[in-house]
Amino acid sequence: MTTGIRDRNNIKITGEGERTIVFAHGFGCDQTMWRYVAPQFERDYRVVMFDYVGSGRSDHSAYREDRYGSISGYAQDVLEIAEVLKLRDAIFVGHSVSGMIGAFASIEKPELFSRLIMIGSSPRYLNDLPDYFGGFDESDIRGLLGMMEMNFMGWANYLAPIVLNNPNRGDLSNELEQSFSSSEPKIARQFAEATFFLDFREQLGRVTVPSLILQCAEDSIAPKEVGDYLHAHLNNSTLGPMQAKGHYPHLSHPEETTRLIRAYLAS
Amino acid sequence: MDELLNGAPCGYLCLNGAGEIREMNRTMLRALGFEREELIGRHIETILTAANRIFYHTYFYPMLQLNGQVNEIYLGLKTKDGQEIPMLMSAARAERDGETVIDGFLLPMKQRIDHERDMLVAAKKLEELNRAKDEAHEALVRLHAELEEKQEKLVAVNHALEAQAYTDGLTGAWNRRHFETSLAASFATYERAGVPFSLLLLDIDFFKKVNDTYGHPIGDEVLRRLAKLLREQSRDNDIVARYGGEEFVVILANADRDAAVQAAERYRLAAERTDMGDLRITISVGAATAGWGDTAPTLIARADQALYRSKTDGRNRVTFAQDNVG
Repeated sequence: MTTGIRDRNNIKITGEGERTIVFAHGFGCDQTMWRYVAPQFERDYRVVMFDYVGSGRSDHSAYREDRYGSISGYAQDVLEIAEVLKLRDAIFVGHSVSGMIGAFASIEKPELFSRLIMIGSSPRYLNDLPDYFGGFDESDIRGLLGMMEMNFMGWANYLAPIVLNNPNRGDLSNELEQSFSSSEPKIARQFAEATFFLDFREQLGRVTVPSLILQCAEDSIAPKEVGDYLHAHLNNSTLGPMQAKGHYPHLSHPEETTRLIRAYLAS
Repeated sequence: MDELLNGAPCGYLCLNGAGEIREMNRTMLRALGFEREELIGRHIETILTAANRIFYHTYFYPMLQLNGQVNEIYLGLKTKDGQEIPMLMSAARAERDGETVIDGFLLPMKQRIDHERDMLVAAKKLEELNRAKDEAHEALVRLHAELEEKQEKLVAVNHALEAQAYTDGLTGAWNRRHFETSLAASFATYERAGVPFSLLLLDIDFFKKVNDTYGHPIGDEVLRRLAKLLREQSRDNDIVARYGGEEFVVILANADRDAAVQAAERYRLAAERTDMGDLRITISVGAATAGWGDTAPTLIARADQALYRSKTDGRNRVTFAQDNVG
């Protein structure tokens, strides 16, 4: 079954080093998002990247509604990948919801990761006023789900992009679009629901491993209040404010992102 | 901005790498109700609702970064007075003036959006209906399988009941009722097609003594073993039935006098030589062959008389009916 997991989650391993660093993509994307940052670690680490089932070039036929309807199913992917690769004391870098997925896996098996690095993560996107500001209310999330429905073809296309060196290679991308079954929009929608209706606040206290919270300036998906909340509730956490704005510093500001991660790992 | 672009019948905007609005044509500004200076330099989030903001950040931005373009995505833009206009946008990354920019062209799609929404609703309904139909079908298939299974069980139970009705509980041989039915059938065949048949009445010698000496359980066992023996020694077409307490009857199909006597002797010898537990028994046999004018009672009576003769002549022997014409 080990070959099964490697193929199922489209695991890519590069670099060499004694320690392993795992990059986990977030909602709405796949491992290609690490394209600028991950290679920076190949000289010193064994670099592992993967796609969650239902995203990217993973085996979409392995998708099960009852499993992946909640974050625990995605955390299970991480646990299964860790087992197949025999990970121990590795470093986990998670973007967006993957920050929480990594935390979930770490709570389950603390020996897997020695450090958790979260980029633009949030334990809960919905506001819980007056005490908790997540940034969104329920009508916003419903609005998002509606938008996804209207855009589903494009969304499904995105969930398994081909890295186009020449963006005008329209023919390749058409091929991929045709290969999608109509279940793809469902997967995307369920991942969205699992992500945006998540409430991981109570679990934060159970994380025992040290963590780095990379907080972008003006990230409307994971605003500053959320970063502060994470820092306050994750034991042994370090808050890393970034100059990068937006939600994808590893795409928009790969140098700053790499630098901050390196500095943290060295300390 | 080029006047053609500025006044073109579609919206045009240009974002810098950070998502801030670098340019917007007049058509677009008018559609949104803003003046140029109100939007230039502001982040595009300014004119996006929360849901659209999430979409922008989780889909639009990374797609553009990784693939260089997005095609035909639906985005809702906010006007100055808070209305949301659904728009269809295609955008591509470009290098201009030494920096990375994003050019986007937008068309309002109010009517199309409504149309697509209706189609989506209809598609969902259809999916639901199909699912319900499939479920109903599966239920039917299951019911059908259950029905077949029940029918099979019914037939089996029927057979069992039938067998029970015609079997002697103790010995497993046919019972008297079955014997009578079989006898009638044998007569019918004889009358119709002239197929001869014979009747044997077999009685265990001194059976009362066996019960008195060894007890009824042993007696029952003797009856069972004798029935088994008789069946083993019989052909498929013969009917071996329990006629009374210690009496058995055999209808020998397709048997004339000689065959009957041979068969009877075979039974007698086998009974004499076979262990019936810790004891041995002997049987007396009376044989008769169906003749012209015979009826069930007359045939049985003749076999019975022959049996009586066997008993009085000393038991453990075969007697053929004397007044037999065949």
